[in-house]
Amino acid sequence: MSTVLAAAGVGAGEAWTFWILGPLAILAALGMVVARNAVHSALWLVLVMLCLGVFYVVQAGPFIGLAQIIVYTGAIMMLFLFVLMLVGRDASDSLIEVLRGQRLAAVALGLGFAGLVGAAFFRALDSRDAIGLAQANAEGNVQGIAASLFTRYVFAFEVTSALLIAAAIGAMILAHVERHKDQKFTQPDLMRARFAPGNYPGPKPGPGVYATSTSVATPGLLPDGRLSDRTISPILPKRELTEAESTPKATEGR
Amino acid sequence: MSLSAYVPILALFALATAFTLFSVGISQIVGPKRYNRAKLEAYECGIEPSPEPVGGGRFPVKFYLTAMLFIIFDIEIIFLYPWAVTFADLGLFGFVEMLLFIGTVFIAYAYVWRRGGLDWD
Amino acid sequence: MNGFTIATPAQVLAIDVRLPDLDYAAMAPMLVLFGAACLGVLVDAFAPRQSRHTIQFALSFIALTVALLAVIREARVGSRELTADVALAIDGPTLFLQGTLAVLGIVALLLVGERALEKGGPFVSQAAIPVGSEADRRQAREEGATEVFPLTLFALSGMMLFVAANDLLTMFVALEVFSLPLYLLCALARRRRLVSQEAALKYFLLGAFASAFFIFGMALLYGFAGTVSFGGIHDAALLATTSPLLLFTGLAMVAVGLLFKIAAVPFHVWTPDVYQGAPTSVTAFMAACTKVAAFGGLLRVLYVAFDRARWDIEPVIGTIAILTMLVGAILAVTQTDIKRLLAYSSIANAGYLLVGALAFSKEGLSSAMFYLAAYGFTVIAAFAVITLVRDDDGEATHLSRWAGLGREAPLVAGVFTFLMLAFAGIPLTSGFTSKFAVFGAALGVGEAWPVALVIVGVVTSMILAFPYLRVVVMMWLSEPAEQSPTVAIPGAFTSAALMVGVLATLLLGVFPSPVLDLADRAAEFIR
Repeated sequence: MSTVLAAAGVGAGEAWTFWILGPLAILAALGMVVARNAVHSALWLVLVMLCLGVFYVVQAGPFIGLAQIIVYTGAIMMLFLFVLMLVGRDASDSLIEVLRGQRLAAVALGLGFAGLVGAAFFRALDSRDAIGLAQANAEGNVQGIAASLFTRYVFAFEVTSALLIAAAIGAMILAHVERHKDQKFTQPDLMRARFAPGNYPGPKPGPGVYATSTSVATPGLLPDGRLSDRTISPILPKRELTEAESTPKATEGR
Repeated sequence: MSLSAYVPILALFALATAFTLFSVGISQIVGPKRYNRAKLEAYECGIEPSPEPVGGGRFPVKFYLTAMLFIIFDIEIIFLYPWAVTFADLGLFGFVEMLLFIGTVFIAYAYVWRRGGLDWD
Repeated sequence: MNGFTIATPAQVLAIDVRLPDLDYAAMAPMLVLFGAACLGVLVDAFAPRQSRHTIQFALSFIALTVALLAVIREARVGSRELTADVALAIDGPTLFLQGTLAVLGIVALLLVGERALEKGGPFVSQAAIPVGSEADRRQAREEGATEVFPLTLFALSGMMLFVAANDLLTMFVALEVFSLPLYLLCALARRRRLVSQEAALKYFLLGAFASAFFIFGMALLYGFAGTVSFGGIHDAALLATTSPLLLFTGLAMVAVGLLFKIAAVPFHVWTPDVYQGAPTSVTAFMAACTKVAAFGGLLRVLYVAFDRARWDIEPVIGTIAILTMLVGAILAVTQTDIKRLLAYSSIANAGYLLVGALAFSKEGLSSAMFYLAAYGFTVIAAFAVITLVRDDDGEATHLSRWAGLGREAPLVAGVFTFLMLAFAGIPLTSGFTSKFAVFGAALGVGEAWPVALVIVGVVTSMILAFPYLRVVVMMWLSEPAEQSPTVAIPGAFTSAALMVGVLATLLLGVFPSPVLDLADRAAEFIR
């Protein structure tokens, strides 16, 4: 690969992609850190991940690029958003530092580390190109992965299923509450409860959706003009009718 | 520059963008604008748009469980992709390998199913 | 930039894929544990609730015994081979460490399965129920989760794979396979569940971060060597004509991942919180088995892949070892919680193990392996004692609560005293022989770095003796506190674990030569 790269230089398309998406990725990453709203952070992260996916593709790793887009931007981001919703998206971070100067130290160390790794890469790849790409992609990227995954790494591949099982168990034991036997109702139980004395078995009357209001939170009017609480769901905040809505409409019969 | 292989994708992307811009723009220009009060009201399936409750609208944890189970499938797909591409070359042992893998992962689903993780109510 | 092309059918036919030779007998220990873990998940899914615990415990116990027998059989055959192409190395250290893991796993399993100390066992029934709710009070009477058994088996199979992995990729998968169940196990304490979940979260976040370092380093090493197998990296380092900077950057990052797992300073911050928060039986399991596995992996990486770079890495890892010993020993002095004290002691012990590892000799390897086995037994027994000292809120881990324990329960206090003396490295305990072996191996090299490490090791051992002896003095000489905890009568399982741990600590101290010989014979990696 190194010879090919040296001979051809970096292709024009690759350079263009890099210079357009590189700054975009950095801006998006900064946006993710700076954004106050957690959902905005997550959306910035999607942009970062998409840029990374394109970078992988451009750097001759179409498989990892697609995996990035399918698994990370698709599934993992969805999980992120659900977790954000779990904690409530208005929940903002506490801005009080537990350890004094921690944030400053973290920024300094982070920049220092990035500088260190960046400098090491620069120096290492200045005199010697990384090897292995041509060999891995000799028969096509995906084919190369398959040829390793299902032969030499077959045991590692099969063992990965242990990870997936552990993930499923973990999700279940940490997020799922099994319902008690006495909380489970069968269909006959539900039917008996429905027709039991004191319960009205029919459907409840619908809400008062009028031509002037599209809201299901508008209570229906009883024949005598009173509002009926039974017409709206108890979880909805009851809507106060405006003057125009509550005044009886004139009809022809009157 | 083999990136040229991606030109069709780029073209599709451009086409999609152009179509979106076109349809949004044309409806702005051509569409009739006759508003009344009910039409201007926000309509969310009949639910009154109301301010978010304090602490933000929260999701039940069940969504998380579903998302997690979906991710397991998703990761399985990542392995299935190279397997499918080279299926003809892998021969019987490739088939058995994937069968074993999927069989093992389905143990997880059997567990989730028996424990009621797939029930929604 | 013609790195890849869209595959045409002709190219698809061109790839040559054949299943490599797999030595199923050599892989048997891992396969048995893996299979048993899968079975365990099915048991949890389909067996009736009341019989789950019995079935799970029996299944895990049998699986571990079979795995141990498979290791012994393989050791008797004298296997020395690379299998699955070169992905797995079945050699002396692999078999020794797998055997150690199986035995320590059985002992830890006894603690995990104990239900006599608390109704329903030390694990919560459903961790998702909010703490303090009505449902939570109801579940206090329920049986604990039995998922802990398959999770333990998954962790152990991952650990066994980790010490056998002969390339970075297999090692990474193994690392995750044993870490993920451990994160989960940490969150399942019945008592003080919020602390337990906090511990799990910290462990998970930092562990994921360390894994990211590992995989980044792996990519760099691939860029240097064109392969991730240890033999290949070794050869590439040997043949390298240009700057090996990529090699060192990669090694540094891989080392971060490994040093995190062995809890070396500065990657140790998770240890006290996790050791304290996790259920004590899980802490015992982690302290013993994770250390064995992580050190096994580190030893293989250092000895097989990077022995050529030895002179370059010695100062770095040597500095880390010194820091680890110092920080572990000094902070152990200030602890007021017995579980945190043992956590810092475990950090310091990681430093002593690094001393052995950095000898880069056969003796260094064998002494480190012996140390791992000896330390594992002692630490499991120590945590087993901690599960016994209880009050109404569960275990009483604050040191002040342990005052005067010698009068309440002389036997338990005596056992704990013996274990503390073993940690302190008093002769006639395994703590002495193992430290002696490690320091002796380092001195045997006769170079500046190992000698410096030994000096620091001896000094910190003396510092570390202070907190151990303080506990002992407190137990025997202090007046009991007003509301002193009671010492529960151990069930059969805990008694057995305690007995095995104490006996091993004593035997390896008085009569260490068989195990030392075994470690010595095993101490040769293949490449």
